[in-house]
Amino acid sequence: MTDQGKILAAQGESASALSNGLATLNRRRPGQINEAMKDIGLRIGSILTLILIWWLLSLFFPPTLIPKPSATFAEVANIVSTGNFFSEMGSTLRRVLVGFGIAMIVSVPLGILMGTLRNLESFFEPPVILGLTMPGLIWAVLMIMFFGLSETSAYAAVGITIMPMLTISIWQGTKSIDKELIDMSRAFHASPWSKIVDVILPQLISHILAAIRYGLGLAWKVVVVVEMFGLSNGVGYQVVRGFNVFSMKAVLAWAITFLIVMIVIEFGIIGCLERAVTRWRPRVEAWRR
Amino acid sequence: MAYVRVQGAVKFFPREDGSEMLVLDRVSFETKEHGITCLLGPSGCGKSTLLNVVVGLERLDQGNVEVLSNHRRSARELPQLGYVFQDPRLLNWKRVENNLTFALKGMGVPRTEWEERIQKYLGLAGLREFRKQFPLYLSGGMRQRVGLARALAIEPEVLLMDEPYSKLDQLTARKLREDTLAICARLQQTALLVTHDVEEAAYMGDRIVILSARPAHVVETSDNPFAPPERDLDDPTFIQFKKKVLKTVLSLVEEEV
Repeated sequence: MTDQGKILAAQGESASALSNGLATLNRRRPGQINEAMKDIGLRIGSILTLILIWWLLSLFFPPTLIPKPSATFAEVANIVSTGNFFSEMGSTLRRVLVGFGIAMIVSVPLGILMGTLRNLESFFEPPVILGLTMPGLIWAVLMIMFFGLSETSAYAAVGITIMPMLTISIWQGTKSIDKELIDMSRAFHASPWSKIVDVILPQLISHILAAIRYGLGLAWKVVVVVEMFGLSNGVGYQVVRGFNVFSMKAVLAWAITFLIVMIVIEFGIIGCLERAVTRWRPRVEAWRR
Repeated sequence: MAYVRVQGAVKFFPREDGSEMLVLDRVSFETKEHGITCLLGPSGCGKSTLLNVVVGLERLDQGNVEVLSNHRRSARELPQLGYVFQDPRLLNWKRVENNLTFALKGMGVPRTEWEERIQKYLGLAGLREFRKQFPLYLSGGMRQRVGLARALAIEPEVLLMDEPYSKLDQLTARKLREDTLAICARLQQTALLVTHDVEEAAYMGDRIVILSARPAHVVETSDNPFAPPERDLDDPTFIQFKKKVLKTVLSLVEEEV
């Protein structure tokens, strides 16, 4: 696990807390609304502080090393308005999503089986733990050597990198499942399929969502590496192009656009998904004091 | 048209250190047909284990449990038992009505009957207008009612209840006892209720089976001299009966001390 992964995961958490807060805002009494506003203010303040530090540093370094925030954001606007942003970002996102899909298809059943069957747990634990410690960079190299410079290597590298993490999360989630509900479903003779779909999976949703949040951070790191190595489009490729002409401004601008896209995914898509699948849970106690 | 017969039930539980602890010591009793049989005993005496054995969640080490029924079953067909748990054990992510269909689906009730059953049993449990709610938006008593409706909806041969009122406040529990008694009387439901509450046993039970502290054996089996409508918690003769049961149970506890 690298620092970048942790930071992205942390961003994921704070973003989801924020979106929960926004969702509940209109149900609160005035005092709580002030609390909520203060919380949002602090989060915005944190981002502004980062930009301020960046700007202060840029006063002391040449723009080739630390470009001014204003110039970088102008470059972001330029990238977005010239049109290749959407196709590049689209390619990268597609690779992330396909890789993600592959990982989910393998990890969800595997994690559930490991959580329920002792023998399978013992058998699959070593490869899963080994897989978790393997750096994404090495997976990227291995996949490129195996599949060549193709889309397939990007899909495979993303999939295989996040698979162990997803599996562990679902495996541990399965172990923490409410045994009493399993007994209940046995008392009413629920079929194995019904046990999985009606009793087990709903209890895993929050684990799966957490895994998706963290997995997205990992997936983006790996896909960028694959694109840097040899694909001819995507955000990683653009970053490498910026690097080749030593344009700090371009590298930063592409990184920022990606962060913005990630935040939109986190807030918009995953946040909505979470609200949709946790509708049954009263939201009052979700707000932290 | 069904009743439960338990004969010479023996059950050991493994201890932490590997030795075995006797939980049920040759327990025998029969439930009363079309009535509520109460298993009354001190906490931790193995009453719930007995229910789990009846429903098939646990196995006996010796003895046997039969669910006798007019309806002839093939050897592989399981008896239809409706279980009401101490905690409601609902699927909180499913609406009230879907908690019922979960059980109906499991017990193999044809889909065409579901709607009728949902309406009937949610109605009986006083939950008609809550069928589209999610359980966590209901009070504890309401959730327990959902658990009751779910168990009744499968139209069980025997209704099994494991201290279903012990986690409710006194007033809610009292109301729910009254309602359960009325529903069971109306449905002519054979039921087995586990409790450690003497008043509850005297009020609910048509037959009261008093169990000793662990290892549990049957101390006394008696039929309630009061028919359900005559059980008035404030009536002196009923209080007299309650005291008699309490005395038996207290003597067991004193032996322990």
